[in-house]
Amino acid sequence: MKKTVAVVLVLAAGLALAGPVVAQQDTLEKIKSSGVLTIGTRTGSPPFAYINKNNEWVGFTIDLVEMLVKPSVEKAVGKSIKVEKKESTPPTRIPLLTSNSVDLIAGTMTDTPQRRESVDFSLTFFYTGAQFLVKKGSPIKSINDIGGKRIAAQQGATNAKIIREKYPQAQLREFPDQPAAFQALLQGQVDAYTNDGIQLYGLKAKAPNPNDWDVVGDFYSEEPYGMAMRKGDTKFKAAVDAGLKNGFESGKYFEIYDKWFGPKGELPYPMTPPVKAYLLKQIGK
Amino acid sequence: MLWTGESGRWLLQGLLTTLELSALAWLLAVALGIVAGALRTVRFAPLRWAATSYVEFFRNVPLLVWMFFWYFGVPPLLPRAVQDWLFNHGAEFWAGMLALGVYHGARISEVIRSGIQSIPRTQFEASVAMGLTTFQAYRLIILPVALRLIVPPATNESLNLLKNSSVALTISVAELTFQTRQIETYTAKAIEALTAGTVIYLVLCLSIATIMARVERRYAIPGLIARVGPAA
Repeated sequence: MKKTVAVVLVLAAGLALAGPVVAQQDTLEKIKSSGVLTIGTRTGSPPFAYINKNNEWVGFTIDLVEMLVKPSVEKAVGKSIKVEKKESTPPTRIPLLTSNSVDLIAGTMTDTPQRRESVDFSLTFFYTGAQFLVKKGSPIKSINDIGGKRIAAQQGATNAKIIREKYPQAQLREFPDQPAAFQALLQGQVDAYTNDGIQLYGLKAKAPNPNDWDVVGDFYSEEPYGMAMRKGDTKFKAAVDAGLKNGFESGKYFEIYDKWFGPKGELPYPMTPPVKAYLLKQIGK
Repeated sequence: MLWTGESGRWLLQGLLTTLELSALAWLLAVALGIVAGALRTVRFAPLRWAATSYVEFFRNVPLLVWMFFWYFGVPPLLPRAVQDWLFNHGAEFWAGMLALGVYHGARISEVIRSGIQSIPRTQFEASVAMGLTTFQAYRLIILPVALRLIVPPATNESLNLLKNSSVALTISVAELTFQTRQIETYTAKAIEALTAGTVIYLVLCLSIATIMARVERRYAIPGLIARVGPAA
């Protein structure tokens, strides 16, 4: 009995020591030997990455990987490769990356200073920010009009924090999830619902009568989406960034954007001039 | 470190909201419980049926559904102006209070009914024979005895009510659990925030249990549920 306990203890100690020492691998070497670029992406975030009606795993971010990142990585490893997709969610995506299960997170991940402490981000490939969803004709036109109004937000969201700290005149109501907050807006419990603009456009499109609703206001928070990589892998990051940069320069990126967010796209979300300027500024234009 | 600064203020606010919500809901629940519990034991059948339908309907639907019902379901039935006034004056708090009170009222009424039914029928018959009306017999004889008999299960229900008040966070009532979650998202100190919340609930519940144990001892009816010997 004592022996068994000792063996278990030794094993446990061994595991505990071995755990963190997963070798820091050079991602490009790994892709070169396996011929596969594994990405972690979403299955239910249209139009970024989702399973469509024909049961295909598609989306804006997936197109960016296939059409811009893949050719650039192929050039760097000197051979043609395959892109493999794995499901990743907000709680699992960083562990998937650090455990080498995936090489690149390409979904809807916001690039934040806190996250930069554990992963590296590519160039920003999508830019959104907090706005308001209101009933058509509402007196709320921007964040300056929310004093005394009832504003719904999602619990724990960055925009709830901003409103609480900078606009205490507003009556903030926090709901655990988007459906509850939207229901409150539909019924008039609140005057506006605030979240990332792109999410609000998605909600509006799905609402029973999309034309009854308006997304208003300038972005009062910044939500730049980036692709995430293991920290410190500079060669791989350079290859990913080169692919995106090339897309911005050649205009290919804007074609892909138009395919998903243009007037005839999956979710019309016109790119405003400040956003375009922000994206191009990254490549020095 | 959670007790100081902003986190501490949030916890305190959450604690006050939880206490306020629970206390009001408890008063409502006890009032409804006594009425429904008593009505379920009277001779007059329609009253008995009404009380039975209330109890079975409200205790057999999850509390979460009642929260949504009072918050999302009821207001649209009111005139728009009344709705706006309500929404500007803490509608979510009152909806949460009603949900909690009406739900636990149904559960408490069962406790009270069992208390009433444990009293021999002859007591009621004797009081009526003395010239009391049914209402007087209940008010002066049956209920005072029943309420003393049911202190232990009623304490149990009250503690449940207090803890169930956390469900109100789904309709944006900023009670204790809501605030611990908030601290968790702002400071990323999940374990500390949860521990603080747990300790507060534990202290609250233990204090209530201790007070109720005293009440129980004080009002025990010798020969009915008086605690005997070392068990006290």
